[in-house]
Amino acid sequence: MIMKILIVEDEKVLSDSIHSYLQQEHFICDVAGSFRSALEKIESYDYDCILLDLNLQDGNGLELLKELKRNNKADGVLILSARNSLEDKIAGLQLGADDYLAKPFHLSELGARVSAIIRRRHSAGSNIIRLDDTLIDTQAHTVSVKGRLLDLTRKEYQLLLYFAYNKGRVISKNAIAEHLWAEDAGGPAGYDFIYTHIKNLRRKLIDAGSPDLIHSVYGMGYKLSL
Amino acid sequence: MKLFTRYSRVNIIASVLALLAGSLAYYFSLHYFLIEQLDDTLKVEEAEILDHVRTKGTLPEPSSYRDQETSFALTDAPVTRAFHNIDRRSPRRHHNEIRTYRQLLFPVSVEGKVYAASVIKSEEETDDLLEMMMLITAGIILFLLILLFVAGRLLLRRIWRPFYDTLESIRRFNLSSHALFPARETNIDEFKSLDLAVGQMTQKIIRDYEMLKNFADDASHEMQTPLAIINSKLDLLIQDPALEEKHLRQLQAMYDAVSRLRQLNQSLLLLTKIENNQFTHADPVDLAPLLENKLTQLEDLIQNRQVRVHATLESCPLRVNAYLIDILLNNLLINAVRHNQHQGRLDIRLQDHVLRISNTGPVLSFGADVIFDRFTKGAHSDGTGLGLAIVRQICDNYGFALSYTYEDPLHVISIRFLP
Repeated sequence: MIMKILIVEDEKVLSDSIHSYLQQEHFICDVAGSFRSALEKIESYDYDCILLDLNLQDGNGLELLKELKRNNKADGVLILSARNSLEDKIAGLQLGADDYLAKPFHLSELGARVSAIIRRRHSAGSNIIRLDDTLIDTQAHTVSVKGRLLDLTRKEYQLLLYFAYNKGRVISKNAIAEHLWAEDAGGPAGYDFIYTHIKNLRRKLIDAGSPDLIHSVYGMGYKLSL
Repeated sequence: MKLFTRYSRVNIIASVLALLAGSLAYYFSLHYFLIEQLDDTLKVEEAEILDHVRTKGTLPEPSSYRDQETSFALTDAPVTRAFHNIDRRSPRRHHNEIRTYRQLLFPVSVEGKVYAASVIKSEEETDDLLEMMMLITAGIILFLLILLFVAGRLLLRRIWRPFYDTLESIRRFNLSSHALFPARETNIDEFKSLDLAVGQMTQKIIRDYEMLKNFADDASHEMQTPLAIINSKLDLLIQDPALEEKHLRQLQAMYDAVSRLRQLNQSLLLLTKIENNQFTHADPVDLAPLLENKLTQLEDLIQNRQVRVHATLESCPLRVNAYLIDILLNNLLINAVRHNQHQGRLDIRLQDHVLRISNTGPVLSFGADVIFDRFTKGAHSDGTGLGLAIVRQICDNYGFALSYTYEDPLHVISIRFLP
């Protein structure tokens, strides 16, 4: 199934980056570079997910959100904001947005959130993510290989899910650290514990009979590929 | 002292002095005038006596009327015509009291003999009149003073009401409530000016504050966007399979730098907002469970450095902004772990509203007095140097006492919370 995504972002370079990244999945992306063009697009089409930048040059993204809510299209909105202000976040979520991501973010993080939103909205039967023999049940939060449940820690499960959402992409250590711990709890020294978690995850997968899906990329990051 | 008290005190003293001086002048001039009147009466008598002598050639009969007496005494001493005040005992009328009389003494010659003629008149009436007039005057003065005082008290209170209202509004003025200054109904010019000036001042303050608040947000926004662009381009770049290790190492360094910039930006923004008191919301929280949660959150970090944690936590209820407290605990604990040594020790004690965090670690490479300053970092630290500065700002805002001591081999940071 092909998903339609609207990117509302007036910083063209940034929207291009997002567009490039998301296009590699089964996503079709529309781009709106201003409040006005965003308004036109949301009135004319329906989208599975809308990436909404709050700080547009010619208007406030929250107004767009209100408009979407009025037309009952407020599902699937991911707010992108450079302000990282608590008030904006609360206002946005109260207006019905699905999620909130502060800039600057890693594209892999964005990808994971978009995938999660789309999964939630089209939950009929797509709770399972299939990676060859490995199945991830996003509702039960379990992972099984060849039918056998794996005993993963919470962090290991989150890691695997993150990789699955960004299948085939190289994800930097920084992105992984920010995803799992939200704050930068360490510099280069801090990435050691990422390594530990990934090592454990890989071992558990291999022990259960799965091929080694996670590859490290020259010590800069990792990639999950089948 | 209150304005009214001082005002009425000055007023009363001045009034009393003025009225006193006036009364004295009044008394003396009145007295003088009345004596003049009396003297004129005596002069009339004198004229009559002289007239009698001239026309009849004899002395008239000495008389003794109610309050007037004329008498003649033969004398060979020279007599100067003059007015005198004499005291006489008057048994007939005044029960042997001594009364004052006004006397006109003048020489009269009859048939070659010189007589001292005396006409005296009682000053009793004069005195009575004077006394009555002074009493009335005193009464009026007293009445006036009382009236002024009471009226002043009532009126002043009412007149000053707008001032007290304005004072109360100023006292209740709250920057973050965005309430504009209420205009007062008054037709007194001074108070109108006062209201206007205060209103303008508060408007300006609110405007400046909003601008300041927005500036911090806007500055951060401007900086985040280019950072977001760099970050996203790096994310795309690393997908290229044609990259070699040497390229990827450069890219990793760039990632790290962008990460640091982002953190720096966020921390500075946070610090500014805390300084501007933009976090006024307060919730009831308990530090003990918050600390436990934090330790769980950071368990990876702790395990990674194999730090042994020992915590004794007592309940510590506070009323503070939950977000700020989370940051405070976060920064303190991360600091204590990050600057610890491998397999080091971390003790956390929360008792009697005092939090003590002690950790092993290398000796400070800077003075202990600058540890909470911005950008104070150890030589090999890759943090922003703002973690403890933020902690200090939060403590300053709430009035919590924050201190650092080195108790070999432990670095100890303690905070005394106010319930």
